[in-house]
Amino acid sequence: MSTPQLPNLLDSLGTGRGRGRRRGRGRGGLGENHEDNQEKKDRVVQKTDEDASVSRMSAVEMGYLDDPFARAFIYDPPIPRRYPIINRGTYVRTAAIDTLVNKFLAADRGAQKQIISLGAGSDTRYFRIISKDPTVKLVYHELDFPTNVAQKISAIQHTPSLLAVIRSTLSTPSDLQITAHALTSPTYNIHPLDLRTLAIDPSTSAPPPLPTLPHLSTGAPTLLLSECCLIYLSPHDADSILATLATSLIPPSTPLALILYEPIRPHDPFGRVMISNLAARGIHLQTLQKYSSLSRQRARLRSAGFVDGQAAADVDFIWGRWVGEAEKERVAGLEMLDELEEWVLLARHYCVAWGWRDGVGEGGGLFGTAWEGVVGQEGNDEGEGID
Amino acid sequence: MSDLDKAIAQLRACRPIPEAQVRELCYKARELLIEEGNVVGVDAPVTICGDIHGQFHDLMELFRVGGDVPDTNYLFMGDFVDRGFYSLESFLLLLCLKVRYPDRITLIRGNHESRQITTVYGFYDECLRKYGSANVWRYCCDVFDYLALGALVTGASTKLEATGAGFAESYPQNSMPADDLDIEIEILNSNGDIMNRFPRSQPQAPSTPKPEPSSSPILGTPARTGPAGTGASGSSSGSLSNDGGAVLCVHGGLSPLIDTVDKIRLLDRKQEVPHEGAMCDLLWSDPDEIDGWGLSPRGAGFLFGADIVKHFNHKNDISLIARAHQLVMEGFKEMFDSTIVTVWSAPNYCYRCGNVAAILELGEDGSNGGYVARSNGDAGRKAEREPRGAPGRRYRVFEAAPQDSRGMPAKKPVADYFL
Repeated sequence: MSTPQLPNLLDSLGTGRGRGRRRGRGRGGLGENHEDNQEKKDRVVQKTDEDASVSRMSAVEMGYLDDPFARAFIYDPPIPRRYPIINRGTYVRTAAIDTLVNKFLAADRGAQKQIISLGAGSDTRYFRIISKDPTVKLVYHELDFPTNVAQKISAIQHTPSLLAVIRSTLSTPSDLQITAHALTSPTYNIHPLDLRTLAIDPSTSAPPPLPTLPHLSTGAPTLLLSECCLIYLSPHDADSILATLATSLIPPSTPLALILYEPIRPHDPFGRVMISNLAARGIHLQTLQKYSSLSRQRARLRSAGFVDGQAAADVDFIWGRWVGEAEKERVAGLEMLDELEEWVLLARHYCVAWGWRDGVGEGGGLFGTAWEGVVGQEGNDEGEGID
Repeated sequence: MSDLDKAIAQLRACRPIPEAQVRELCYKARELLIEEGNVVGVDAPVTICGDIHGQFHDLMELFRVGGDVPDTNYLFMGDFVDRGFYSLESFLLLLCLKVRYPDRITLIRGNHESRQITTVYGFYDECLRKYGSANVWRYCCDVFDYLALGALVTGASTKLEATGAGFAESYPQNSMPADDLDIEIEILNSNGDIMNRFPRSQPQAPSTPKPEPSSSPILGTPARTGPAGTGASGSSSGSLSNDGGAVLCVHGGLSPLIDTVDKIRLLDRKQEVPHEGAMCDLLWSDPDEIDGWGLSPRGAGFLFGADIVKHFNHKNDISLIARAHQLVMEGFKEMFDSTIVTVWSAPNYCYRCGNVAAILELGEDGSNGGYVARSNGDAGRKAEREPRGAPGRRYRVFEAAPQDSRGMPAKKPVADYFL
């Protein structure tokens, strides 16, 4: 249930901004109708970012999250208020991924690190990391649809505090290159890239050339983030994109990890309603059936090459086990949650999954060390919720 | 047709009534409610309902399944407003029915019937959206302050009168009890077909765990019937009365400050729901699998265990506590050897949860010439009372009303998810 101001994703279909920009971005060999349909579907996925950034802003305003950068990426004020249950979910999602990311950055602290955020949209994580520690040795890449990238870059250009954060990491200011379509620097990069261009079938005899990503390090321990991103792609595309990233763009010798945040458990009544409610908004959770449980997410990580460790936990578990008692009390005190059963129900349908490979050579055990002591949820939940 | 009947007709069509009429209605309702005690006496037969939460179309489905007012005597245990899109229409319709048929519908207060909660959870915004000012919200909140805190149902029968219903296809064939069996619990689907039945069993040793019935046809049935030949009615300690004992209805649950029903009667209820204290607890507390009392993770009210319920029921001559307040996926849930039941009447809660809803029917004990023994929690009476079983309980389980049903406006709800 939403507050009345919630942007209806369907209402914005095929209208307004971004229309002209996408002309000439045709994907060869497809008929025009198909192309139009595909663009409409993409538009819905692109707009999910707006929904997420509004949720983030709501959580910030209510004191759940400390994020001075969130407001810069609200493109369409006023900001609707979200229900407490959604604020708490946004909080746990952010806190959980922060925990894993911060442990990665804290491990082997002098060494160069890299983060690649898939479908990053208007995510503020880079700015939050750097504003806390401008000396961290990190190169950060965000990949997203050109439309989302253009919107984000425009916001950055109009927000001095964001530019200041990026510049604080650069010894030479001219290293920061900003156009309307892309942002590059030795530390922060926003690449306009339809992720599906990375979905390359390895069996193809003459694979298309890989896109070049400026400032991509092939040797630094690298963390991939997919926050509600790969799930909108077909299972084939989602798997191929990971394969390309983990073998072609980042060589197998480099330590590499992946953090996923996604819905799970589609087979119980809540899951079935979720699928149909989102489908009514044009949002299709395409990999949900294939990666429907914590067990399946772990198996997915293993078969995607993250062979040295895999773990997963649902948001209910993370709230219960990762969030400290004092912090839990602070968060629970912000707003009264009227219905706890509803919270547990909702929270059990989202998970964080993480896995890694050590690569070869130095820095091999980095992820294992960094995430030692981060508790995953054990056991096989394969059959759960299936009637 | 009186103005009130016109208002009822308009609200049944899910159309709000003019502000002036709301004001008059709320005034009349307050006059009526001010005369009610904190604990309203209700005679069986009665149909007990849980949370509605502004799901107007599902409230219409509830009336279709349970019968219309005034044909059916209803008791609603609060949380009429918030979360759903039609809190206003739902609450005003119930209020109109209350003014029109005061003896056929009882409304008690839920934790959402509060100024503070409705500003967070939607009712305030809805009034503002539909009237352009907060006046209607204010009128309604003034009515909330006068709603009773509980109800005591008396005259309920241990026996379930047959409905003449057929058996649902899902009915577990191997456990179909004989027709002459004393049925304690019957579960019907929204077509009135029997989904499951639980015969009254002989008193069991306290150590024997009994499965708690739910609307799922798989759970519980075989064990509940007990060993072959023991399922007949009656009790080893003599013949049971048909009087099912009193049923206390309250939105949330018990309070450590309240050990008798009479103490509820002594509260000053005509105020906003306080953040703590007995009145708050009655509207906020939850039963839980603990011993004694515990802190509630909700931040208001308490958790209370089976020992608290059994002691309270024994002391107050109550056979069952009916309460709402917690989402139950199966629509209802009996706990603690059927000494307390949660009834939840908002199907697919928040258009997102995928749950079914239920209402609880208690039949009338006609065996005593209609005379209803007063059972108001007077201490000391329990020593004399004859052995009695819990009231027979018929649950009707129903799903969310189909979208665009019966030509009523149905804005396509947008449920929030994490995207």
